[in-house]
Amino acid sequence: MKLGIALSAAALVALALLPFALSPYTHNLMTLSFLFVATALAWNWLGGYAGQISFGHAAMFGTGGFVAARILLAGALPPPLAWIAGGLVAGAYALIWGHPTLRLRGPYFSIATIGVGEATRLVFTYWDKFTGGSSGLSLPMVPGAKRTLYWEALAFLALIAVASWAIRRSRLGLALFAIRGDVEAAADVGISATFYQDLVLFLSGAATGIAGGIYASYFSFIEPNDMLGFDRSISFVLMAVIGGVGTILGPVLGAVVFVLLRQFLIGSYPQLYLGLYGALLIAVILFEPLGLMGLGHRLVRRAAR
Amino acid sequence: MRFVELLVAAVLLAGLYAMMAYGLGLIYGVLRIVNLAHGGMIMAGAYLGLALHDRLGMDPLLSLPLIAVVSWSFGWLLYRFVVRHLPRGATGGAQSLLLLFGVWLVMRNAVYLIFTGNDQAIRTAWSTHAWKLAGVSLPVNRVIVFGLAMLALGGLHFLLTRTYVGKAIRAVAQNPDSCTRAGIDVEKVYALTFGLGSALAGVAGLLGATIFSFNPSFGSVELLKSFVVVVMGGLGSVAGTASAALVLALVEVFAILVLPSYLTGAVGFVLLVLVLVLRPGGLFGQKVLG
Repeated sequence: MKLGIALSAAALVALALLPFALSPYTHNLMTLSFLFVATALAWNWLGGYAGQISFGHAAMFGTGGFVAARILLAGALPPPLAWIAGGLVAGAYALIWGHPTLRLRGPYFSIATIGVGEATRLVFTYWDKFTGGSSGLSLPMVPGAKRTLYWEALAFLALIAVASWAIRRSRLGLALFAIRGDVEAAADVGISATFYQDLVLFLSGAATGIAGGIYASYFSFIEPNDMLGFDRSISFVLMAVIGGVGTILGPVLGAVVFVLLRQFLIGSYPQLYLGLYGALLIAVILFEPLGLMGLGHRLVRRAAR
Repeated sequence: MRFVELLVAAVLLAGLYAMMAYGLGLIYGVLRIVNLAHGGMIMAGAYLGLALHDRLGMDPLLSLPLIAVVSWSFGWLLYRFVVRHLPRGATGGAQSLLLLFGVWLVMRNAVYLIFTGNDQAIRTAWSTHAWKLAGVSLPVNRVIVFGLAMLALGGLHFLLTRTYVGKAIRAVAQNPDSCTRAGIDVEKVYALTFGLGSALAGVAGLLGATIFSFNPSFGSVELLKSFVVVVMGGLGSVAGTASAALVLALVEVFAILVLPSYLTGAVGFVLLVLVLVLRPGGLFGQKVLG
């Protein structure tokens, strides 16, 4: 345990010092990785801990992104507060659709989230007074902002990682594991599935929304079909599944692998990347449902023997 | 007059919706697996029809039986080699969901590589004709699609209620364990059912392709609509599926009157969420096949 904390702290310091030695390309890739690692972890609170697979998290990513962008364009708040405001709106939005749909379990919830995600994307695409429609919104470029955003994204990631660990060990985490195992048995020992699932969806949605806001600031341009597309929702699912659903290290590894893989595929095989995601998903589920974490455990066990 | 025309349009559309949904409901009812690759099968049916029409000059009506057989075989193989190895039930649900979703992504990408992402359409001699009946115009292609969909559903109903195979399928849906004891090869029934559901999806895709233009993401909206219908109509009841399909088609068609046209696309999704939320207990219906 102490070793884990020490290692994480060392990694954090190393990552914080790294930009002084990075090319802009790697710098960009790292910032993107931080954001997506954080989002994958937040997705995992609901998908992994509570076992409710969401195919609609792009809705919160987009909501957070556009609310933050609007606030920044109006110049009403400094960036970090704008991101938090975006996150709160995204969390509230998640509650609005989540409270009724979280009563559903398993595939039904997942299916409902596909509907929510797509409906949200359509509304955002046509609500051009707010989102700029399919031509999107441009944020003013601030010189040097990308450099600061690296640390801000890293700080956000550290926060989410600590939160992931804290939730796992808290009453909330235990309640979620119980709900994942058996909703009715959990209810018998006094765990309100409604309360805990609502809570974790709010947290997960808010964190995803904040990530959307930082993403908007980083790219200075956002557009509904990119922010809220089904591909975006799938990417969150994939990151957690590749790494290992329900663990903490899993989504971290999964998201890093995902971002690197995506970068490589878009560069070299742009027309193949969706299919390769699919193949990866099939391979993981068929051969190692616990993802990279499961693979790691298996290798460790084999080495020990 | 406009009202009658919309009504007719809704009824004709409902036939196709019922057919798309029935395949999904059948697989869920018997195997307890939500087949997310269903959308992919619908798309594959459309593109197969396109290839046969454009390259070999086959009319969609001629290629229909062929596509039914091909989609059936694909479903059968998918079950035998992939789906069979997955855990079922509450805990396994997420796994089969994700895996079949992966299959769908691969299918989409394969079609994209072969046919590009451009919009396509199957245009036949009968695709632009319309009959006039008491002042209401009936587009020939939509009438044909409706007729064929009804025929397919009727045939399926007959198969499930009047034949030995159908009886076996219904029995497995109720209790696979006692079926094994009664000497029914449950695995065979599962593979057969997966094939049947896929064949329905493939043929529905082909029929849809004679009405709508399509691209590799064709099938995703259709999949969601199928969910709405299955959830509303209950499992395996042909009448329930048909009436739910009619409700969906009516809501969609009449939404044009009250909503700006760009938002009508969202109606299906909103309805899906509403139906799931308002009928939480009997989600896919408590009714067992038959």
